[in-house]
Amino acid sequence: MLLDFDRLGWWRWALGGFTAAVAAFLLLPIVFIAALSFGSSQWLIFPPPSWTTRWYSELFADQRWLDAALNSLKIGLVVTVLSVVIGLAASFALVRGRFRGRETLKALFLTPMILPVVVLAVALYAFFLRLGINGTMTGFVIAHLLVALPFSILALTTALEGFDKSIEDAAILCGASPFEAKMRVTLPGISAGLFSAAIFSFLTSWDEVVLAIFMASPTLQTLPVRIWSTLRQDLTPVVASVSTLLVLVTIVLMLLVALIRKGLSKP
Amino acid sequence: MTVPFLKIDGIRKEYGPVVAVEDVNLTIERGELVTFLGPSGSGKSTTLYILAGFEKPTLGDIRLNGQTLLSTPSHQRNIGMVFQRYTLFPHLSVGDNIAFPLKVRRKSKADVTERVREMLKLVRLEGYEDRKPAMMSGGQQQRVALARALAYDPPILLMDEPLSALDKKLRDELQHEIRRIHHETDVTILYVTHDQEEALRLSDRIAVFSKGRIDQVGTGPELYADPATRFVAEFVGDSDFLSCRVTHSQGGRANVVLGGDFAVEGVPLHDERGTPGEGALLLRPERIDLSRSEPTGWRGLPVRVDDVTFLGSNVHVIAQTGWGETVSVRLPFGHEHISGLSRGDEAWLRFDPNEAHVFV
Ligand SMILES: Nc1ncnc2c1ncn2[C@@H]1O[C@H](COP(=O)(O)OP(=O)(O)O)[C@@H](O)[C@H]1O
Ligand SMILES: [Mg+2]
Repeated sequence: MLLDFDRLGWWRWALGGFTAAVAAFLLLPIVFIAALSFGSSQWLIFPPPSWTTRWYSELFADQRWLDAALNSLKIGLVVTVLSVVIGLAASFALVRGRFRGRETLKALFLTPMILPVVVLAVALYAFFLRLGINGTMTGFVIAHLLVALPFSILALTTALEGFDKSIEDAAILCGASPFEAKMRVTLPGISAGLFSAAIFSFLTSWDEVVLAIFMASPTLQTLPVRIWSTLRQDLTPVVASVSTLLVLVTIVLMLLVALIRKGLSKP
Repeated sequence: MTVPFLKIDGIRKEYGPVVAVEDVNLTIERGELVTFLGPSGSGKSTTLYILAGFEKPTLGDIRLNGQTLLSTPSHQRNIGMVFQRYTLFPHLSVGDNIAFPLKVRRKSKADVTERVREMLKLVRLEGYEDRKPAMMSGGQQQRVALARALAYDPPILLMDEPLSALDKKLRDELQHEIRRIHHETDVTILYVTHDQEEALRLSDRIAVFSKGRIDQVGTGPELYADPATRFVAEFVGDSDFLSCRVTHSQGGRANVVLGGDFAVEGVPLHDERGTPGEGALLLRPERIDLSRSEPTGWRGLPVRVDDVTFLGSNVHVIAQTGWGETVSVRLPFGHEHISGLSRGDEAWLRFDPNEAHVFV
């Protein structure tokens, strides 16, 4: 190979140092937030003068935070289910279908991924005002579904492309109806893709803030919206503790994806 | 007249402008093992997929015991199939794979257990019940696939090049197994392959496919001894072709001339509607005799030896005619004229015109 790592000489150390710097740049803010959430200082002083779990107690005592978290969870779960079901149907059509414009349609399905979210948010805001679903659960779900679907479709088309259709055909000749064959053979066969689609859909909704700000009403807020609006009023370490918990949920879910992928690819 | 077991009747399949299968007709008896032999792209799989119900023919009908199969969806046809690729259900154990068609048919638990055991015994994989497919070799996976396809006693078993991904030794072993299982179960098998040796070894009858059509159907010896087309002659057994001119033909026989002056009389003639008068003379390398000295009593075709290869039980001689065509000859080891035969030697060839064929 042209760039053989073992023969780079002192460049190896330079590359190693650079990698460490990039990793630090990406990870240190998260470490700081976690540290600050346990710091005793009201003003988020670093390093913290002493340690406390006070902000976590305050967080869990505040009904508004709990409501926001519950809203995020509800919206996230509904979006997950819809995103996987719709994504699965779309993926079957995109992978198995033989029709003109298939590639174009696939690109179209993925556009919300590259479209600036603000543009989407403004458009949806105007549209939902007419429909009168601004600030409702339905509005939130539809908005988040739009940005979650591309991830779901990407994960599921990849999984379906990697699943030999002959296996489904074999199930059909064994006597299973085409629907039964899909339920009993194809879906279990692409379970790793289904899990990825579900978790990425959930995380997309769970972390989403731009659309949520446009959709939110005083009575219906998600966790990221509440963090954002709290930050605008006062800089309390409670925000650091929420953020830390959010990061934790994300890490756990990502680990789950990695574990499931590993477990399913090597049974 | 009795109704044939399985009748493939005038099947044609078009994919847009591509004609994949054209006017395929074949009648199959119960319990037969028939192979579809032909090069890649000749329409074998398409024909099999039409039987399985995954493709609809553009024209024609498939009849099982006189009843059309085309109106029955795949999952109700009760046909077994082993595919070219490995198609075991990856999330199920070997036992559950074989049990799948039985569970779909709502068989009782005791029946399923009993049948799975029987099937594992049939394919000689007792004790592998709890393995996952990923833990099995390719040959073992195809055995399980065979067990799964036979578990529900289908009247017809389709096999689409099931051994093509395996190495030669394993392939020989599994061909043997398939023959044994065919004898033990009496299932009717339609077997697709592009390997003539496999077809000859397995089949009761062979249907030779070429460009979407069946050129000829017959037993191996029939195809070998009396090929209907030049293509069949080339595809089944080894062959030599020499260009020739037809000087006279009558009653299915022809007199021909090779290289301007070597006349051969009374050769079986096959009319393929080529250029009138221009033909190809088919000889089988192992049916040609060779002499080192100008023979007396018969007229030999004079050649010059180009190459001699020792191949164990026989010796392969490549020779050239006076006008530059190549003939390969296969002589048994120990043939009186072999010892010392080498490149550049003169020799004379002899063959029986009754065993030769002319294609025009
Ligand atoms: N789904 C399809 N779409 C278009 N052409 C096809 C399709 N399936 C097969 N063909 C064409 O039909 C011909 C026969 O194919 P096939 O039956 O697979 O041949 P074989 O199995 O003998 O190799 C080939 O020319 C192939 O390209
Ligand atoms: Mg094929």
